[in-house]
Amino acid sequence: MIDDLLKSRKILITCGTGGVGKTTLSAALAFRAAMLGKKAVVVTIDPAKRLAGALGLSHLGDEPTDLTQHVQEALSEHHPELGSLQGQVWAIMPDTRKTFEAFLHEIAPNPATAERIMRNPIFQIFTNEFSGTNEYMALERLNALVQENRFDIIILDTPPSRNTLAFLKAPQLLARLFEERLIRWLVLPTNKLVSAGMRKALGILEKLTGAGFMTHLFDFAAGLFEVQVAFTANLRGITATLKSTDVGFIMVTTPSPDTLQEGLRFIEQVKEHQFHFDGVALNRGLTYLNASPSNPDRNFDAAFEVVRAIQKREKLVLEGLEKSKIQICAKVPELARDVHSVEDLFHVAMAFNS
Amino acid sequence: MQQPSSQFLESPCSLWCSHHSMGDKNPSLSLSQTPPLTQVIHRKLLFITGKGGVGKTAVSLALAKTVSEQGLRVLWVTFEDPNRPAGEIKKLSPTLSELNCDAGRAFEEYAGLKIGISKLAHIFVGNKLMQYLSKAAPGIHELVLLGKIWHERQNYDRLIIDMPSTGYGLAMFQSTRNFARLFRGGPIHKDAEAMLETFGDPHESGYVIVSLPEETPLGESLDLARFLSELFPKNLPAFIVNRMFPQVSGLEGKKRNPMSWPNPLAADITEYITRRISLEDHNMRLWRDDHIAFSSLDYIPPPLSESLDPIVDSLARQIKTRGYA
Repeated sequence: MIDDLLKSRKILITCGTGGVGKTTLSAALAFRAAMLGKKAVVVTIDPAKRLAGALGLSHLGDEPTDLTQHVQEALSEHHPELGSLQGQVWAIMPDTRKTFEAFLHEIAPNPATAERIMRNPIFQIFTNEFSGTNEYMALERLNALVQENRFDIIILDTPPSRNTLAFLKAPQLLARLFEERLIRWLVLPTNKLVSAGMRKALGILEKLTGAGFMTHLFDFAAGLFEVQVAFTANLRGITATLKSTDVGFIMVTTPSPDTLQEGLRFIEQVKEHQFHFDGVALNRGLTYLNASPSNPDRNFDAAFEVVRAIQKREKLVLEGLEKSKIQICAKVPELARDVHSVEDLFHVAMAFNS
Repeated sequence: MQQPSSQFLESPCSLWCSHHSMGDKNPSLSLSQTPPLTQVIHRKLLFITGKGGVGKTAVSLALAKTVSEQGLRVLWVTFEDPNRPAGEIKKLSPTLSELNCDAGRAFEEYAGLKIGISKLAHIFVGNKLMQYLSKAAPGIHELVLLGKIWHERQNYDRLIIDMPSTGYGLAMFQSTRNFARLFRGGPIHKDAEAMLETFGDPHESGYVIVSLPEETPLGESLDLARFLSELFPKNLPAFIVNRMFPQVSGLEGKKRNPMSWPNPLAADITEYITRRISLEDHNMRLWRDDHIAFSSLDYIPPPLSESLDPIVDSLARQIKTRGYA
């Protein structure tokens, strides 16, 4: 199942909330693609240390790093039985700030406007990483990679979020900043077209925040006004890329009573955007464990109860997904230790669908 | 007109890449100075933080329940939970109430406080731009949510706050600070300053970081502690390690260093449990060696329904029997 996706898609985007193991799973997907002979790259915006650490690298940069040799050496040393990598595995950790600066320069009519927007303190607060900016920049970097046409498959590990849908909603969230109406209200506050109500409201806002805030707010809107058309065109381009049949979306989750609802909501959103849903990846499952020979040791009772409850929940989730005809693209087992090395990532890559 | 100087603002990089710079924030902080849970639990405002999926909601509810059963009036607060009614304070028991804090409502209330309930206030709150700013604009949004908590502290003995997960939770405090530093002159500036003083004062506020006994969550918890100590240097957080596997006696001789296992997958349930407990021991030994104080809560067999009640009750019992509250 997962192999079909790795063979047919050019981009796989993994979405999910923090803590479900998205980064590990994404890296393992790239490994698996390389085992299938693909030239694969994993793009991750997750906290740098983790993936780089697991790969034994001090850091990953904004340009793709070739890990093939490193991975091949680990493979030959620890698992010669798995053979050799037929393809290549690369990784990249986009620098969202750098991408953002380049992006602003691209959409601004001149460098001075781009600089002015970046310096505006309100803009800095607005574009902190929870306003959709990071997600949008991930897409920008993805677009650039697609243009370069260097890879057979790109695995995009989306930024950590509170909500599985966050990534899908991010472009619209950022687009709200550039909403024409909003900017017009602020660019033309003294204009006759602006209602008396708006003028009064702005007056109160000024009393509450002080004059400095208002100056920056108007400056902020003026800056956005200048880039609005270019931004909207860019957004359209990115959306078109995501709608292509080259791109599939995977929801990564751990089995819980919410999984089914989460999946249904995700699929609904994906459909609404006219993107392609490639299935749920159920991570950290325990149903792969063989039942132990009857447990004579009473000391284990409490711990057994926990494992069995987790397994039972997982089975219910699997049944629920099946009943609702939600595709499961991968079942990934919970490892008994933290993912630490290339070898551990291999075990995950090998265990897809175990 | 006063021009706010950009030197007051967190550098754009720390706003954009707080994840990446988190670990380097305060290398001089010794985490062995962090207090045990029993030292912070009696603070009037208790912020429960941690990364996603560690059980913050259940742990914070269990703490709220325990404290309310001691006869104190407790308000448990969560933020914009789509599964709970928004904005209304709801009684769960005679001493325990819950609030699902909603920015739109909080903004309205704040405006009412500042400009009075009048036709003008109505126009202001109903204004589309203002609604946009209060709901969507990072900064104003967070300021308004934290402001609501800050205001409610007059009405309760304790507030126990289920914060959004790591990055977003931190951004709430960070945005408030950036606003306070940038936009001087108006009442919002004064209120933001006063809020930050309350949140930084160990006599009034406390922080609890919930973690799991796995390497990544533990590492991120230490990063979070360093970052919080940057924001509030006099007010260090306490740690709770949640979901520790129930101990199995007689395992001592069988525990191995997790790195020595040839394969990270376990064969059967007994081996999984043995390894899991070895892993937790190994991870927590590193904390003990560094003298980092932490409280622990056992893994409760997860219920099959979405209701949190059984977990909350069980955690509350553990909190009581272990003397944490």
